[in-house]
Amino acid sequence: MSAAPQVPEARGGWTVGEEAKRDRARRRSVGRAFAATTAVPVALAVLFLLALLGGIFTDLFSWQVVASNNSAESFAWREAPVGGDAVVRLELAAQGLDEAAIEATLNYPEQRRRFFARNRVEFMLYTDQGPFRWVVTNMRNRSIELVDLIPGFGQRAELEAALEPGQRLLLNPWLDGGFFQRVASRNAVSAGLKTALVGTLIVILGVVLFAIPIGVGTAVYLEEYVAKTRLARVLEVNIANLAGVPSIVYGILGLSVFVRLLNFGPSVLAAIFTLTLLALPVVVIAGREAIKSVPSSLRQASYGLGATRWQTVWRVVLPSAAPGIATGVVLSVARAIGETAPLLLVGAAAFVPNLPSTLSSPYTVIPVQIYSWISENSAEFRHVAAAGIATLISVVGALYAVVFVIRRRLERTRA
Amino acid sequence: MTPASGRAEPHALSRRANRSRSEAIIGAVLFLMSAITIVTTIAVVFVLAEETFQFFREVSIVEFLTERRWTPLFAEAYYGISPLVLGTLLVATIALAVGVPLGLGSAIFLSEYASPGLRRQLVPWLELLAGIPTVVFGYFALLTVTPVIRAIIPGVNLFNPLSAGLVMGFMILPTVSSVSLDSMQAVPRSLREAAYGLGASRFEVVTRVIVPAALSGIVAAILLALSRAVGETMIVTLAAGQRPAFTFDPRETIATMTAFVVQAATGDQPAGSLSSRALYAVGATLFTITLSVNLIAQAVVRRFSEQYE
Repeated sequence: MSAAPQVPEARGGWTVGEEAKRDRARRRSVGRAFAATTAVPVALAVLFLLALLGGIFTDLFSWQVVASNNSAESFAWREAPVGGDAVVRLELAAQGLDEAAIEATLNYPEQRRRFFARNRVEFMLYTDQGPFRWVVTNMRNRSIELVDLIPGFGQRAELEAALEPGQRLLLNPWLDGGFFQRVASRNAVSAGLKTALVGTLIVILGVVLFAIPIGVGTAVYLEEYVAKTRLARVLEVNIANLAGVPSIVYGILGLSVFVRLLNFGPSVLAAIFTLTLLALPVVVIAGREAIKSVPSSLRQASYGLGATRWQTVWRVVLPSAAPGIATGVVLSVARAIGETAPLLLVGAAAFVPNLPSTLSSPYTVIPVQIYSWISENSAEFRHVAAAGIATLISVVGALYAVVFVIRRRLERTRA
Repeated sequence: MTPASGRAEPHALSRRANRSRSEAIIGAVLFLMSAITIVTTIAVVFVLAEETFQFFREVSIVEFLTERRWTPLFAEAYYGISPLVLGTLLVATIALAVGVPLGLGSAIFLSEYASPGLRRQLVPWLELLAGIPTVVFGYFALLTVTPVIRAIIPGVNLFNPLSAGLVMGFMILPTVSSVSLDSMQAVPRSLREAAYGLGASRFEVVTRVIVPAALSGIVAAILLALSRAVGETMIVTLAAGQRPAFTFDPRETIATMTAFVVQAATGDQPAGSLSSRALYAVGATLFTITLSVNLIAQAVVRRFSEQYE
C-alpha cells in the first residue's frame, strides 16, 4: 500500500500553516483506516475458507472406543506389510486357531466369503497398542465412544486407562482406501462411496458427451453463422437468462420431462439430460468468449484461400479457441459435479447398494450421498460425510487447477 | 443475414461457399443445437405454468397469496405461500447483509489497494470459494456454524436461518466481489488521474470517483447475488429447516421455497396429486422472482452503465 499522493500545501489558499497540516493528517488517517477496512473482508473470506477446509480435515479423523467381537488385538504394519490375507492370518492366530484351521478358513471359499462378509481389514493411524497398525473390524463391534480429533489428543491417556477388556481405542481415518471400495450401508463404519463415485463418473461422462458438442455448436452458430442478427440477439438473451435460473428449477424440469413425461424414471439417463441442460449456458457463454477472441485476420485468411465457412470454423477458429473453450467446459463440469438439488428431484436415491448397470438403473452421486449422510444426523455419519466431502472437493479442486494452468498458458501466449 | 460490422467481410466472401449442400446441412445442425436452449426455456415455462394452472383450479389464488399457513403435506392442508416467501427473504436478507459489504470491500481492496501480484494471489482463493459445492456449505452451516451460534446466542433452534444466511453470505461473496471488481477495473485510468491531479487522496478517489463510476456494475452484482441467494437450495434445506413459519425471527426454524421443493420431491407424493402440484406452484413463484431480479440486473447494466471514449 503506497502512501496517498501528496496533497498540495494549501488548497486555494484557504488554509495555511498549522491548519493545513492538521487537515492533511486527518485525511491521511481516514485514508489509512479505510484501506485497512477493505483488507478485512478479503482476510475474512480466506479465513472462512480455511475454517471450512480445516473443519473438513479434522472431521476426517475420529477417536473411537469400540467393544470388539474378535481378538481385540491390532497388528503392527511391519508384521503384515501387504495387509489383506496376512492380517487375517494374524487375527485368526490371535483368536487361538491353529495353523491348519487358519489355512482352511482362507482356502475354503465358503468360509472365506463368510469371514470377509463379517469382518474388514483396516489400517488405523493409532490404536491403544501403538501407531500405524492393522485392525480387523467386526461388523458387530459396538461403538462405545466417539471423540473428535483434536480433543481426543488431550483425552487419549484417559480413554486408554478407561478401556475395559475386549475394548480398544482407534484413531479412525474415515477416508481410507476401503472407503472407495465399500457401498452404501446403514452402519457408518461400513458405509462407503463406491456406488456414488461410479454414479458421478457415469453422469459426468454423459454430461460432457452431450454438453460439449451442443454447447460449442451453439457458440459457433451464434458467433460465426448468425452473429449480430436478431436471431442471435434472441438466443443470447435467452442463454443469459437460463444461466441465472436456479438449479432446482432444472430439477423440476427434469422431473416433469425426463422422469415422468418421457418415462425414463429415476435413472442415470434422466440425471445426464437434466445436468446437460444445466451446464449448457456456461459452456455456450465461455465458448462465445473464446471464439470472439480469435482474431478476424485468421478467418479472412482462411476465406481468402477459398475455404468454406465450416472448414474455416473447424480448421481455423476452433483450434485457436480451444483453450478458452476447454476452460469453460472444465468449469461447467466442476459445477455439475457438485450439483445436489436437481439430482434429488430427478431421483438420485439415498441408499443404492448396487452399481448402476444400465442407463435406466437407479443411481446415486457423491453430493446426494453426502446430503443423505448429513441428514442421518449422527456423530459417526458426520465423519463419513466429511470423507465424502473431502473426495468431492479434491475432484473439484483438481478441475480448478486445470483451469488455472490453461489460463496461465493463455496469458503467456497472449503476452 | 449479413452482419454490418468489421467482421462482415469473411461472411460476405463466404456467401458462395455457403451454398454447397454439406455447408447447408452443417448450418441446419448448428441451428438445431442452439434451438435446444430455446426449447429448454419454453419447456421450463410450460411445465411450471401447466401444473400451476391445475393447482389453481383446486386452490384459490386468494388463499395462495393471503393465507399465513403452508401445510400441503399435512392432513389439514393450507396453501398460503407467504411463510415460504418470508423464509426465503429472511435468509436472503441475512446473506446479503453479510455478503454485500464483504464482497464490496474485497472488490475495492483488490481493485484499488492490492498490488497486482497480491491480487493474482488472492483472486484464486475467492474463485475456490465460489467453486465449493453448496452441499458442503450446508454441512459447514449445520455442523460447525450452528453449534457456535447456539453457544453465543441462547434460544436459537438447531435449524435456523441465521446460520444458513451467514454461510450463504460467504457463498455469494465471490459473486459480489468478482462482478464489482470487473466494473471497477473498467473505470478508465484518465478519471483516476484527473482526480489525483485535483489533489484528491486515494480514499477520496475510491469513494467519490471509482465507486460512483462503477455503480451500475455494483448494483448488478448485488442483484445477481440476491437471485443466487433466493434460488439456493442445499444450505437452507440442511441448516434452516423444513418447517414453514410466518416469522421474521432468525432464531426460529423456517422453510424456504427451495427447501419445500426438495421436501415435496423427495417424499412419496404421487404425480398429479394436489401436494405434488403445490411443488410446481412454489417452483413457478421461485422462477418468477429470480427471473425478475435477473432481468432487472440486466436492465440496470444496459441503462446505467457509463460509456467512456
